[in-house]
Amino acid sequence: MALPLPPGLNHSEAAFLAEMELVTVVPRQRLESIELLGGKTPPLRPLHRADLPLWLALLLKKQRRANIVPPPWLHPSSLAEIIHRETKEDPSAFSPPPPAPSRADPARPGHAHQYDTTTTTTILSPPFLPSSCTAAAPAGYLPYHWLEVAEQLLAHAGDDMAGLGGASAGEIRGLLRDLVEVRAAKMRSSAAALEGFGGGLMSLRGVGAMELAESRGFVLGVVDGVRKIGAGAEAARREREEEEMAGPGLGLEDDESDEEMGI
Amino acid sequence: MDIDDILQEVDPSFHTIPQEKRDLQELTRAWVAERSAPELLPWPADGLFERINGSIKRQIEKVEEMTGDMDPKTNFALIVIQTELERFKYLVRSYLRARIAKIDKHTLHYLSTDELRGRLSDMELAYATRHQALLHNHYLSSFLASFPPALQNLNDTAGGISMIETPDLESAVFIRLLKNALVEGRGVDTDDATNMQVNDIVILRWSDAKPLVEAGSAELI
Repeated sequence: MALPLPPGLNHSEAAFLAEMELVTVVPRQRLESIELLGGKTPPLRPLHRADLPLWLALLLKKQRRANIVPPPWLHPSSLAEIIHRETKEDPSAFSPPPPAPSRADPARPGHAHQYDTTTTTTILSPPFLPSSCTAAAPAGYLPYHWLEVAEQLLAHAGDDMAGLGGASAGEIRGLLRDLVEVRAAKMRSSAAALEGFGGGLMSLRGVGAMELAESRGFVLGVVDGVRKIGAGAEAARREREEEEMAGPGLGLEDDESDEEMGI
Repeated sequence: MDIDDILQEVDPSFHTIPQEKRDLQELTRAWVAERSAPELLPWPADGLFERINGSIKRQIEKVEEMTGDMDPKTNFALIVIQTELERFKYLVRSYLRARIAKIDKHTLHYLSTDELRGRLSDMELAYATRHQALLHNHYLSSFLASFPPALQNLNDTAGGISMIETPDLESAVFIRLLKNALVEGRGVDTDDATNMQVNDIVILRWSDAKPLVEAGSAELI
């Protein structure tokens, strides 16, 4: 009954999450709005674009009821740009995640507001961001679930993806594979950095869900291992620092008493 | 009311998120967090699960009504509804099972103080208490009874060593920042403190991440 899996999402769970990402479809048939647990679906009219969760979009696609509009970041030129950035401009870090929805708001240029800053309402995060895999997604940025979504789209809607910019699905696949390899190398080098990992924080800005699932066990294992081996040294350091914190105070007192002596 | 408020009203992205979507986001977040955190997290307090269970129940009733109808149009809607229902049930089931796994592993720990008991739902508390009682009776009848009475406890803390196993709160986790915040992390050689941006992903110890997650500034991934 209890879940036998180790902590942290695995591949299939990450893929399950990715299926909740919204994508844009062009319906071929009418379909009335359906009341689902996650909210109503928009009513579908032929040739009127609508945003649906990926799992539903794939279901419609399989039944030839709709075509899927590829997200702009999956465009070959966007992928090439990201690969260029990952290899040439900043070979050590992952390319940045998509800007927060506020800055991507084309209706109000220069008028940025965060999605949520002070109010207590729910802050959305992947896979529920309104435009990370839809046709309105910004090009040149990989969303958190990029690999899972791209794989699903190419596997089940390859013909729709190919329509874009005259590129074939094979070309997109090739670019994706390059990207996966470039980023896997970065993940490995960050694992090498873990070897001497003595700090308390390590940032992996821009990493994807699948890449995390891939190396989660290893990375967390190394961090925990380093902590356990270094537990003695860490305790000694804390003790020393506490003494140092207390130290200057004592020194000050000494100085004062010296001055008094001088007077 | 100034110009910003007016603009916000006409801005489609600023509309409040519907309750269903908010619940789904909260459920998903709770599931991911429970799957990733080394210890049991508090049971959601705002009736999230009651709401979700209620709507799952209603949806099942709707499916039962619709299955009598053989019109091909509604038939497809039925497939969609059932697919989504299964996805919801998977989320709820996986969440509850992840919790039970943690409760099973450290039952005595989660029953030891009121603060920890408060993290369990009523059902989980009943389960943990009965499970522990059964286990203790079983041990008593099979071997504990032949020990001297002073050695029969399962939760001795004598001699500075506690018999109660506790989860490792220093385990490393991955978090994503939901708000710009100052992140502090303790390490072996140095302690770090950095101002982090929304969407940053950080590896740090759970004990350092916990205050951020509880304040809603970060989520586990």
